[in-house]
Amino acid sequence: MKRKLALILLLCFSLALVLGGCGTGEKDADKTPDKGQTQADTSWEDIKEKGYFVVGLDDAFPPMGFRDENNEIVGFDIDLAKEAAKKLGVDVKFQPIAWDAKVEELDSGNIDVIWNGLSVTEERKTQMLFTKPYIKNRQVIVVNADSTIATKADLVGKKIGIQAGSSAQDAVMADTATYELIKDNLLEFDDNVSAMRDLQGGGIDAVVVDIIVGKYYVSQHPGQYKFLEEDFGAEDFAVGLRLTDKAFQAELDKALDEMKADGTATRVSEKWFGEDIINK
Amino acid sequence: MDYILMLLPSMFSGLTVTLKLFFLTLIAALPLGMLMGIARLSRIKPLKWFMEFYVWLFRGTPLLLQLLFMYFGLMTIGLRLEREIAAYLAFVLNYAAYLAEIFRSGIQSIPQGQYEAADVLGLNRIQTMKNIILPQVIKRVLPPIGNEVINLVKDTALIYILAISELSRVARTHVMRDGTFVPFIVAAIFYLIMTGAVQQFFKWLESKFDYYR
Repeated sequence: MKRKLALILLLCFSLALVLGGCGTGEKDADKTPDKGQTQADTSWEDIKEKGYFVVGLDDAFPPMGFRDENNEIVGFDIDLAKEAAKKLGVDVKFQPIAWDAKVEELDSGNIDVIWNGLSVTEERKTQMLFTKPYIKNRQVIVVNADSTIATKADLVGKKIGIQAGSSAQDAVMADTATYELIKDNLLEFDDNVSAMRDLQGGGIDAVVVDIIVGKYYVSQHPGQYKFLEEDFGAEDFAVGLRLTDKAFQAELDKALDEMKADGTATRVSEKWFGEDIINK
Repeated sequence: MDYILMLLPSMFSGLTVTLKLFFLTLIAALPLGMLMGIARLSRIKPLKWFMEFYVWLFRGTPLLLQLLFMYFGLMTIGLRLEREIAAYLAFVLNYAAYLAEIFRSGIQSIPQGQYEAADVLGLNRIQTMKNIILPQVIKRVLPPIGNEVINLVKDTALIYILAISELSRVARTHVMRDGTFVPFIVAAIFYLIMTGAVQQFFKWLESKFDYYR
């Protein structure tokens, strides 16, 4: 019995030693980049030195960023990022990320920016820097073409689909008066396609989605759906950067301004949406 | 039909990622699981306890969480693994735990008389394990291992969580783009072909090892 106890103690001790040892090692590793960032913001110099910046995106988010028939990443935001890179004089690389962990991917340095129909929200402002907005977005309500739902008030008692963790969800929750009435009938979906499918099949009665994504799906099924006049408010799309990367933010803003001024952004918008929806 | 043909090239590139994870996991987890199974029956108590703890840890938590931990968990404490490496590591450690249990039960199912007979023949412990016990164990553990391997084929789909474009994630990106569920059906057929191949392979293997019964 005594021997057993001694052995257990020994095991615990060695485990603690190993874990403790690891701990100090990581702290040292952590310190160096931290120091560099508090002393001076070298984010833009670092990018120039690397020769490229890495855009993190969900590659299943048409029309902003997705895979075409040849498995290439394409989309509105992809074209914008490429144009911005041209203006900055560096290359751009695209890295698919798990959207739920975008902040971790950014903070760890896996990616340099999030450029993927990213809505500016108060919560996100505490986690990342934003460039100036480049698109105004609206959270709209989609129903079947033959639906009797015509206003937000009609949604009470109906089943409403929404993408979990999306800015549409934030917008609905921000509309507290309506939210109180419909919160028990909200169904969270992993993605908008499943929600739209469920709507088509009659499992739910409405879907709240941002207009850009909504228009994309509605255009794939002409005559199937319609948008309500009322919406859940407007918001901005912007590019997200690490909180510390102020210098890179300034450069990127400059590039975006140039693209808006010289018509590059308008050209990209017309290519993907058939109209100019750039926020000037 | 044209649509399915259009899907195939990217589905095949997803399949390559899936197969790579599948084979690398098998190659590393099979021997590791066997060693761990033997270690669980070791006379050295701390080793035995450690293996018990290990199996409890890796069999007792969802593989999905282990994947997240290997990538994002380690990232937050400053250790950044490539996403593929994190995926391989989580799969190998997880599957080794399951396989260790299969090998342990296999070893324990060999009657005591075999050890006594080996002792009488003057074989030492290592010789007994290598020449007498393990060959019999392998015959017995084939069916449960076949089970695990089929599970592995399907579990590879979990690495979508690390944004690695394996077969099912590729299918999902197509579904997002085209708004039709056909890519999921194509992916299901791919998985059925893979599990079918594994099933046939183990059937052949079991019949091949079906001697001295």
